[in-house]
Amino acid sequence: MTESRAHVPFDDPDDRPPADPATALRMIAEQQAEATRRLTPNMLLYYWPWGLAWLIGFGLFFLRFGPDGRVLVALPAWLPLATLLGLLAAAALVTGSASVRLGGQVAGDSHRRGVWYGISWGLSFATVTAALSRVSDHLPDDLGTLLWGGVMVGLTGALHMAGGAVWLDRNLFGLGVWISVTNVVGVVSGPGWHALVIAIAGGGGMLAAGGVIEFRRRRPRRVPGADPAFAGVGAR
Amino acid sequence: MTTAPPPELDPVIHAQARLRVMATLATLSDCDRITFPRLQEILRMTAGNLSVHLRRLEEAKYVEIVKTHQGRTPVTLVGLTRRGRFAFEEYTAAVRALLDPSPRSPSTEEKP
Repeated sequence: MTESRAHVPFDDPDDRPPADPATALRMIAEQQAEATRRLTPNMLLYYWPWGLAWLIGFGLFFLRFGPDGRVLVALPAWLPLATLLGLLAAAALVTGSASVRLGGQVAGDSHRRGVWYGISWGLSFATVTAALSRVSDHLPDDLGTLLWGGVMVGLTGALHMAGGAVWLDRNLFGLGVWISVTNVVGVVSGPGWHALVIAIAGGGGMLAAGGVIEFRRRRPRRVPGADPAFAGVGAR
Repeated sequence: MTTAPPPELDPVIHAQARLRVMATLATLSDCDRITFPRLQEILRMTAGNLSVHLRRLEEAKYVEIVKTHQGRTPVTLVGLTRRGRFAFEEYTAAVRALLDPSPRSPSTEEKP
């Protein structure tokens, strides 16, 4: 392959053209894969803290406040809620700091989208909490727990689907659908069972989704945004 | 040197360093810009070297360099212009055409 070397004097190796068209294409592909990898966050930081919080937190709820008022494991009554809230706060911290670190690198529409989406989470949970805390004291304990769990998990599902719509992200949307469906199944099954369903299917689903999405992200990809990960999200 | 290859390769982009800069910036969404230090880190170039190539791309109106503030710290943001995005797409199409100069390539090139 003979290059037309007469156009520019090449004193700087950086200024030299790629050796041939194939090299140019390979350079583009490699550089874009590298940039995409560096500019998208580690998705495990977004899914696993929440998945673990649900798995452990709701798991403890099931063990302490089981179906039909049964106590499967005689834990202190305060422990499940304290654990769940503690783990959720930790998850918010991990996800939030990962987002802030990423937001400092790219400015523009994506950044604004991320900030507004973050605000939506915080504010919508605040309004729902305000409403539920006025009501739940007047309910029997098991129904109060079901109300809190059902509404909070439902809101989480809705926000995941909304996020999927904002970014046209099949994984995020699919996870939202999965969470919503399992939440309905859990609520219909009743107090106690809801906690079990959310711990296993909801928390486990998030862990699986995070693993699959991160695995796909680390693989060299061909066309950004075209990965058919949707089906894998809820399946395991 | 009068007979150039049929698809003319844009000399501004057809240099290794600037090709990598353009490829990286093209992965950003339309209205996004990246901070200079982050771009430098991804490209593994020195600040001086990157500045030289960015100036060349800016002169061609392929990139836009915006100096602004985030809080109190001054930030330099770099992004492709619409002309730059188009030029990069044209360049990639031209390189592909060089590799595969089959007659049906125009119709396949239409697809995004």
